[in-house]
Amino acid sequence: MNFSFTEDQILLRNSVRAALDEQCTSAHVRAMAEDARGYSEALWGEMAKLGWLGLPFAEEQGGAGLGLVELALVLEEMGRAAYPGPYFASVVLGGLGIQLGGSRAQKERWLPAIASGQARASAALLEDALDWDPASTTATAVRAGDSWRLSGVKRFVPWAHVADVVLVPARAPEGLSLFLVDPRVAGVTITPMVGIDLSNRWSELRLADAAVSADALVGSPGGATGLLESLLRRAAVGASADMLGAARRCLDLSVGYVKVREQFGQLIGSFQAIRHRCAEMLLEVENSHSAVYYAAWALAAGAEDGAMAASVCKSYVSESARKVCGDGIQVHGGIGFTWEYDLHLYFKRAKALEPLYGDAAHHREQIVRGQVLHSDK
Amino acid sequence: MDLNYTTEDVAFRKRVRTWLEQNMPRHIRNLDERKAWHRRLYEAGYLGMGWPKEYGGQGARPMEQAIVADEMARAGAPAPTNSLGVGIVGPTIVVHGTDAQKRRYLRKILTAEEMWCQLYSEPNAGSDLAALRTAAEDKGDHFFVNGQKIWTSGGAVADWGLLLARTDPAVPKHKGITCFLMNMHQPGVDVRPLKQITGSSEFCEVFMTNARVEKENMIGRLGEGWAIAQTTLGYERGGRALARITTYASQYKMLMEAARRLKRNGRPILDDAVTRQKLGRIWADLEVERYGALRTLTMLERGEHPGAGGSLTKLSYSEFEKRFMELAEEILGPYGQLTDGVPPEFRLEVDTAVGDHGTWAYAFLWSRAGTIYAGSSEIQKNVIGERILGLPKESRADRVGGLR
Repeated sequence: MNFSFTEDQILLRNSVRAALDEQCTSAHVRAMAEDARGYSEALWGEMAKLGWLGLPFAEEQGGAGLGLVELALVLEEMGRAAYPGPYFASVVLGGLGIQLGGSRAQKERWLPAIASGQARASAALLEDALDWDPASTTATAVRAGDSWRLSGVKRFVPWAHVADVVLVPARAPEGLSLFLVDPRVAGVTITPMVGIDLSNRWSELRLADAAVSADALVGSPGGATGLLESLLRRAAVGASADMLGAARRCLDLSVGYVKVREQFGQLIGSFQAIRHRCAEMLLEVENSHSAVYYAAWALAAGAEDGAMAASVCKSYVSESARKVCGDGIQVHGGIGFTWEYDLHLYFKRAKALEPLYGDAAHHREQIVRGQVLHSDK
Repeated sequence: MDLNYTTEDVAFRKRVRTWLEQNMPRHIRNLDERKAWHRRLYEAGYLGMGWPKEYGGQGARPMEQAIVADEMARAGAPAPTNSLGVGIVGPTIVVHGTDAQKRRYLRKILTAEEMWCQLYSEPNAGSDLAALRTAAEDKGDHFFVNGQKIWTSGGAVADWGLLLARTDPAVPKHKGITCFLMNMHQPGVDVRPLKQITGSSEFCEVFMTNARVEKENMIGRLGEGWAIAQTTLGYERGGRALARITTYASQYKMLMEAARRLKRNGRPILDDAVTRQKLGRIWADLEVERYGALRTLTMLERGEHPGAGGSLTKLSYSEFEKRFMELAEEILGPYGQLTDGVPPEFRLEVDTAVGDHGTWAYAFLWSRAGTIYAGSSEIQKNVIGERILGLPKESRADRVGGLR
């Protein structure tokens, strides 16, 4: 039993941090918020060169063959830097989705392209009702000769405006199925959904009899539920790693600030009201670290409690990251409420991820449901 | 990162489980029986495991200690006794004691032939322990001790006490304290049970009037007592890390069962969305405590000391235990407050504090102690702020000048 990172994992984290510290400054995050596409192609190319974009894929598909723990380490650094760009969408949602359920041909078509940065992927996992249960899917897929026609509305599709391929769940006559959709084909409309988070982009994806070819079906018709559940668990843990990074950044900024800010002739960090709040923030960050890396390991290792650990992780981190980032604003006082100060970049980043891939309430219900099922056996 | 247990640890766990099945007493009726059980555990190599071999221990790894405690929690095994002796006094003597002190005391601590208590807290020195006023006056070959101690765990059955007393009132308060071993069986020592809000008396008050301590029973040098108390490294560190969580988990399962039987508005509470949310949250918190315990054990296994990180652990689980017991009370309603007459299906089979069978009411009340003893949550937050985050210290009037 060893709950510590290997030397290679520490090296990876340090190199990601160094690269992002240099190239993903808060000025870069702010500049990209004003950019039409929202991310830097130069940095994207750099990330491909460094092997980040293919990190969890097999080596024969241009990947680094690493696991979810390493992926979580990278995502934590992206949260810490509020990295603006389609990394999570392309590598976690699209890439892992194809890796988990794609045919050999689909993997060969997409994974090397994602790893090299030439293609960007995403997944459309949410509809109007905002239910993360795949069974709630209402979009439809009907056969038209050799191909399929997809219809329905998907919401909060990350980075769809720059995606080359989007995983789209839809209900076929056989049941819930998953398709690879080129968002530029006829019948697909993309409309931006602009949120408070400056470092992420979402779109509404409207499908009106959009044609997709037969080879765009992932897995078998009606066989997508298990795959979507696996993907959602990985997305939940990945998003938690990102939130953990944002929370740690807020803690670091806060601790740094209260060591230099004076009021009543004293450093405010010497007041217990401030110190105790900072101590609570650290406790939440450290507990979140435990939750993220335990879950990442459990999913990667195929441990018995992987699904449970993912729900524990997302339910815990969703709320603790919100608390830590919010407390960060509080201990800063007025400066923390200004646009000019960087704190809100991370506060909003964590807030945006809080409801995604299942909020705390969703995952708490998953926990209890799993326990009731288990004890009924 | 590999959170699987090694094959050696799995095999060791199996051995412990088998041994417990064959040797565990069903009931412990009195202190003599508990001492006998303690002795059996010691002889089997399952007690004082972390002590160095030369002093009668096993030199066991932290993980082995954690596994034994965890298996005991799983089996609902009765607790051994003399925990302060084994956990704190013995290790203090090993590190700071003379050869004569080691020969005289250590083995009898392990075998529970001599029971120990810790004479630290005073009515006016709780969180601010260094403000203690119990005085030890040098009388040549011995000291006379006068003063009062409180929150003395196991004081009523202790043969000896590890005492902190003031030997120099003129120097700054942290520097005038000395550490002693005091015989509890003497006319100058009066031990009175302290009844707690639980109705039970795990603690005592100890009054000392010209109590005698031989000079050979001083630990370390004059004025070193505070440093000794601060730097004492117990050998049982992390030992309870997993066991604590296992106890919580079995309590949680009982709570789920209760929530199936109890109803609100005509439906089982377990089908109520609000209750399910609360259960799901507590389970997530409980699992996060378990992951944290694995992190702590990893550090200990690598020979690293968690240092102030121990404050994070203690703050986290003691605050968790309060939230957990509050939820238990909410689900159980008035059943949760019964000290007698509990229907069998709502009975608590395991108890947090002593590993004995108890009641939810007792466990609930006891959960209030965890955020106060061994450094209150407020003190832990100060330690975290100053020693981990490096925040500036508050200006404190007591950091300058003598006690008077």
